[in-house]
Amino acid sequence: MKTALALAATLFAAGVTQAPAQEPIKIGYAISKTGQFAPAAHTQIQTYELWEEQVAAAGGIDVAGTKRPVKFITYDDQSDFGKAPQIYEKLITDDKVDLLLAPWGTPFHFAIAGILEKYQFPVVGNSAASVTIRDIKPGNIWFPTSCIPDRMGAELAKFLVQQKVKTAAVTTLQLPFSLEVKKFLMPALQSAGIKVVVNDEYAPDVKDLTATLTKIKQAAPDSVLSLSYPSDSILYMKGARELDIKAPFQLVLVGPAEHFFSKMFGPNLDGIVTMGHWSPHEAKWPKAKPFYDAYMKKYNEPPDYLDSALAWMSIEILEQAVKTAGLDKAKIRQAISTETFDTINGPVKFNGVENTLTPTMFLQFQKGEAQIVWPVSEATATFEPKSGWTK
Amino acid sequence: MDLSVLFSAQLLASVLVLASLYALVAIGLNLVYGTMRLLNVAHGELVMLGGYAAYWAFAQWGISPLLAALAGMVIAAGIGGLIYVAVVRRLFRSPNLLARIESNSLLVFFGISIIVQNITALAFTANSRGYSYLDDVIEIGGARIAANRLATLAVAGATCLACALFFRYARSGMAMRAIIQHRDAAALVGIDVDRVNVQVFALGFALAALAGALISMSQQISPFMGFPFTVSGFVIIILGGLGNLTGSIIGSLILAAVEVYGVTLMSPSFRSILVYGVFIAALLLRPQGLLGRSIRAR
Repeated sequence: MKTALALAATLFAAGVTQAPAQEPIKIGYAISKTGQFAPAAHTQIQTYELWEEQVAAAGGIDVAGTKRPVKFITYDDQSDFGKAPQIYEKLITDDKVDLLLAPWGTPFHFAIAGILEKYQFPVVGNSAASVTIRDIKPGNIWFPTSCIPDRMGAELAKFLVQQKVKTAAVTTLQLPFSLEVKKFLMPALQSAGIKVVVNDEYAPDVKDLTATLTKIKQAAPDSVLSLSYPSDSILYMKGARELDIKAPFQLVLVGPAEHFFSKMFGPNLDGIVTMGHWSPHEAKWPKAKPFYDAYMKKYNEPPDYLDSALAWMSIEILEQAVKTAGLDKAKIRQAISTETFDTINGPVKFNGVENTLTPTMFLQFQKGEAQIVWPVSEATATFEPKSGWTK
Repeated sequence: MDLSVLFSAQLLASVLVLASLYALVAIGLNLVYGTMRLLNVAHGELVMLGGYAAYWAFAQWGISPLLAALAGMVIAAGIGGLIYVAVVRRLFRSPNLLARIESNSLLVFFGISIIVQNITALAFTANSRGYSYLDDVIEIGGARIAANRLATLAVAGATCLACALFFRYARSGMAMRAIIQHRDAAALVGIDVDRVNVQVFALGFALAALAGALISMSQQISPFMGFPFTVSGFVIIILGGLGNLTGSIIGSLILAAVEVYGVTLMSPSFRSILVYGVFIAALLLRPQGLLGRSIRAR
């Protein structure tokens, strides 16, 4: 009892001697910490946590000219996009958060879009892109990525024409994003006069791609476009090497930008093209390298050039919007919709949900580093044909 | 499409590698089910832990995954034995629990599966991990195959063969089969059922850990990689016959062949339809499994 009284007295004394502290603002998000998407969501979580650490060290964030401390409220959506809307609704109505960060992946962004509309709560998306969402014209979600499937389809076809590609093998994972990319890629290839010699789709639980790869080997195309996610991207890489697929242009859509890929494949990753629009080597973006270094320092591994970069951009955009608009939702929405933001990926400005300033780009691994090779105006290196696989 | 591809050594090699891994998983699953009627849906998590053990041994100390697999098998066998003694034996002693052992075990192991997945994710993060070991490409009879997959085939194939010989000729192996055939009769002729059960748990866990270590050499590992293997394992033991160990090996070959040749003939998007089509056909036409005898009510 005595101890409790002493403790109460101390706390009271501390309370009266200190100036009244700023009430922390609450920032919430739900993300796949467990379940089948957890491995893929991991780099985005690490990026959020890096920011949390930096915010704590800086004593908070600037809310319309006042520095306010931040309290984070996070949940696990268990890789279930049915749960995501419920959790975001809870964050808004029960936890009464001031700001929200995005979940991982296109299906989850899709899932929460309705809730954001219902409560008119603005969220800067990141690891997602969907022509379908863009066409619905929601008013409270934005995509900083320039990897929007219709733009990617057209740009990839241009890139292939520049490389004098005449034939392509296309393999597609049956998930919304890769299927959307395919939907726009196929007509673009046709109008570019590129003949599709293999066209296979497969389900996410695939364990072996030998049959498809054997067909590709027989067809010997100039290019292979593997519209895949990390786990089947690995199946492609392993199988293509075993079968010695010699196509000089080989695109592996999602996965190569993750760190474990280079650990797993070493020099065999060289020459592989992947989607992405960020590189720490781009001198035009002065914030890129410091972000890379901070991430590297905290995690002892490089950030994912796709999801980590996008997650960080979404935070930068939100932070800058809150700096001018404060916490009023309508003002934040107005700021995000109209202002130009300075990010690790250069300036970003939205038209509808879409970032109009960042061009659609492609990366290629050269000597273990991801370099921007398309478009030429943004390139940090020149495309090199894939020179085969190590024995 | 050129159908000559069906006769290529490349596809055959893929079938054999996949089948040998499936067989390791399915034999362990089937042993535990056959002898004790326990539906271990956490079996895939043992595969996952075996994968992590091999990964860490290689990443931290540069130990060959094949050597680490041996150590992993011994540790997994120990854990298996311990779990039997500490938990399962108690279930068998209570007549009330024993009466509902199949349905209860399904729920208990489902819970264990989720707990193990999430503890692993907390301990090692959910990040995918991989390494490269023995990844030179070797050409054999027209097939090009990475040495690690060849090693997988050799080790898993030899282990399956050793298991088949063990069940046929070794006293303990025969005792396991006897318990699978008729538990009470086996006890009556003097088989120490409790001791054999410990061995079954140890062997089943060890085989799963071996499968995990081998898988980690050629695929990425994550805390959530195990469940698909459990599902494949169940499809195989239904195909080959519940409790039928040779059937498990044949079932593995069939499932792998359906996956590889089926998608070659049709399309990879038909994989799940083919696999579950075969599964449902087996349930309808031969519910006792391809090699199983029809089950009489007991």
